[in-house]
Amino acid sequence: MVIGIIHIIVSPVLALIIGIFFLGLSRKIMARIHWRYGPPLYQPVIDIIKLFSQKGVSHGFMFDLGVILSLTGCIVVILFIPFGALCPLSSSGGLLVILYLMLLAPLAMALSGGEGANPNISIGISRKLILSLGYEVPFLLILLTLMTHYKTISIVELVEIQQDTGWALFSLPLSLSGISYFLILPAIMGVRPFDIVSAPQEIASGLNAEYGSKYLGLITIEHGLSLFIGTALFVNLFLGGAHNPAIFFIKILLVFILVLFINAVFPRFRTEQAIKFLWGVPTLFAFLGLIMSLIFK
Amino acid sequence: MSVHFLLIIAFGGAFITYFSGKIHSKLRNFIAVFISLVLVGLVAFFYNRYTQDAVYLQFLEIRLVLSLNTLSWFFAITITVVETLSIIFSLRYVKGKEKTDFYYLMMMLVNAGMLGIVLSGDLLSFYIFWEIMSWSAFLLISYNKGPALAAGMKYIMMSVIGSLCMLIGIVSLYTAYGTLNISEIASLIPSASSGYILFILILLSISFAVKNAVVPFHTWLPDAHSEAPSPFSAILSGILIKVGTYGFILIFYVIVGLKIFQGLFGFRSILLILGAVTVLVPSFIAIFQNDAKRLLAWSSIGQVGYIILGIAFGTSLSVTGGIFHFFNHAAFKALLFLCVGAVEYRTGTRDLNSLGGLIKKMPVTFIGVMVGACGLIGIPLTNGFVSKWLLYKTLILEPAPFLAFVSLIGTWAALFYSYKLIHNIFLGQLPEKYKDIKKAPFSMQFPVIVFSTIIILFGILPGIPLTLINTIVMSFGFESLHVTLWGIASETGTLNTINIFFAVLAAGIVSWLFFRAGKKSISVPQEDTYAAGTYIPKDKYHYTVDFYNPLYRMITPYLKDVIDTFYNWIARSVGKFSNVIRKIYTGDVGNYVLYIILFLAVLIFIQFGLKLW
Repeated sequence: MVIGIIHIIVSPVLALIIGIFFLGLSRKIMARIHWRYGPPLYQPVIDIIKLFSQKGVSHGFMFDLGVILSLTGCIVVILFIPFGALCPLSSSGGLLVILYLMLLAPLAMALSGGEGANPNISIGISRKLILSLGYEVPFLLILLTLMTHYKTISIVELVEIQQDTGWALFSLPLSLSGISYFLILPAIMGVRPFDIVSAPQEIASGLNAEYGSKYLGLITIEHGLSLFIGTALFVNLFLGGAHNPAIFFIKILLVFILVLFINAVFPRFRTEQAIKFLWGVPTLFAFLGLIMSLIFK
Repeated sequence: MSVHFLLIIAFGGAFITYFSGKIHSKLRNFIAVFISLVLVGLVAFFYNRYTQDAVYLQFLEIRLVLSLNTLSWFFAITITVVETLSIIFSLRYVKGKEKTDFYYLMMMLVNAGMLGIVLSGDLLSFYIFWEIMSWSAFLLISYNKGPALAAGMKYIMMSVIGSLCMLIGIVSLYTAYGTLNISEIASLIPSASSGYILFILILLSISFAVKNAVVPFHTWLPDAHSEAPSPFSAILSGILIKVGTYGFILIFYVIVGLKIFQGLFGFRSILLILGAVTVLVPSFIAIFQNDAKRLLAWSSIGQVGYIILGIAFGTSLSVTGGIFHFFNHAAFKALLFLCVGAVEYRTGTRDLNSLGGLIKKMPVTFIGVMVGACGLIGIPLTNGFVSKWLLYKTLILEPAPFLAFVSLIGTWAALFYSYKLIHNIFLGQLPEKYKDIKKAPFSMQFPVIVFSTIIILFGILPGIPLTLINTIVMSFGFESLHVTLWGIASETGTLNTINIFFAVLAAGIVSWLFFRAGKKSISVPQEDTYAAGTYIPKDKYHYTVDFYNPLYRMITPYLKDVIDTFYNWIARSVGKFSNVIRKIYTGDVGNYVLYIILFLAVLIFIQFGLKLW
């Protein structure tokens, strides 16, 4: 019981630290690739403290509630994702619950932005929803492939089976799904070439246009957490998770840096181009993976 | 006290309400609400006091009987509760309209008919109550005149075709077995050939599929739901179409029986494919609707697909999920229709492109739509999540990954149209003309509050209805599920909603503390927005018109309602054909005599010329 409660507290805190570290790291690595010096690693911490001490504006009840709910959604998802040996609530419904809880954060954010009544926000939400439908098609196929192949809906069991039989990425019928997952990973994490949702140069950061002060602070924290969720899910599903948090951290760090490299060199898609890409090669691979895993049981 | 009493009150109450309206409208309103409440109380009273084959009428050689078991009790309580709340909502909604007495009479007749259907213990009473329900519903759909008349016509045409199929099936069963009693037929049918069982199943399924709006029998639903008065749309979508679900469960698991039904692999596959199409296409059509009620109507068709998938898949988890989803859909779709009705009552429109910003004006209705939409999408901690979880789990583990994929994508479509519904009515800019809108009257808020409570309560403690559904499913011969108060325990994955609840609560408190830690913000009017130096004029924009345009351009070629076009083509062709025939039947006796003589002449010519006989 006590250990359980400690897990529940430790795992989001670690995720928060890692998420904010990722934010700093991404700026640093991007800067080095651009031949700049870049801000210090702890810059996001300074930013967040600054944002929380500023006075902001609110557009109403849903505007506030949506931001809170969206952070709630991110924290809850983290409780369900195994983090090395830490997995506080993983036995309460499995991958299906994670899938549905992951809806909470974007939906709450969209509702909050809706009350802001800013045209930039509306464009941002529209792009976010359409992009999510775009990557959700291959993503769901990949998840279904894993769940039918390993005959379980529990993410902890998925990790355990991979610990015994080897990573899913390198076991043959699932490799195709793994490749497909890596192709859509930038879209899930919202980095280039799929950063159409924020797109600072076109729509003034889209969803974030109307937010300042502590609202932007909360959104930054949430962004860090979602970077953690995106990479952690990939590591758990295809790279076999890990026995202890340290190895797990190294794995998600490597995946994150790979995604950053993609982010650094690609320009941005238009919305339709993004959907066309996502429903093209990744969906085909995911589909073939599902069919092959049904044939070679 | 016997079950007859329930029907006597339901039917008698309807007419008492009608005649009391001739005396005074307040008296009528009181009686209508009172009788509905009495019915809820009575049905609740009959919990666990089940009867089998209580004879109420001897008709020729057929004994008409009523019977009550867990399945019919579960449907009966849903029907009466939704009906009561809709009647309460109607109090203000139809006030001042013409023919209100008639409206209440028909509302209560529909209710009585549905109660009769779920209580009937033989197929003849089933058919009679079915027709009472169908025709009263027809009169209510056409209540608003204008386009509603055409919608009602479309509904009743398809309904009659369905009823005819059912009648043929029932007559055939009677000639084969000499009885119409459901339990007797159920004991006789295992000896029948599988071809005959299939014949009966297809006939009855067509009838139920029309009522349940399964693709390709769905075309009546969008028109009927959007044109009917809102409280009746709630009943129509919440429970009336689910009477078809009851019919499906009745023939599949009570009459034909689990063993034989699981053996009919081809029939089940076709039904599953139809279910999957019913989930997928209507859900995406719903995204691009601009009429709030039409959007909800298309979404109803999509949700029906989940129920069909659950029932046709035929494992204990899936059937539990299907039946639970029937109940959940009744709760959240009735809630959504009532909320949209309240908005329509205050603003006079349900066009999504001309509403907006009503959150501050109608807060309770907003919360209602939020809760309903979360249930519809299946966000955890609403009841919709639990039923969908049950369904997905069985689809994934059985394994039927493509069906699971279709249902999961349907959820994303639900997210899209739910967001559109919420945003276009309640968020965004408030148009100048709605500056002085008042909040909905209490009689319109009360049902919203009750439904929202049900949705969240059964989302956190799904064990309450699930134990009941488990008894139903066990009576069909399935193995029992390990239902606890907060979910389902099993070896292949457990669901524990109370854990999710506390996790969300704790995370919510933490996030709120973060929020409180920052400096207090000042409230500014909605127009005070950042637009990168450009001026955003008031009352000019509705930002979500053509919101999903990039998606629309990509998928619209695949979203034509081919079936509706096909039916309309048939209707037109029949019309043309009839016009040709009308030219022959001129109505002039002389012409007819001429036809007869010509025909005889041809016969004589054939006889003499060819010597055929």
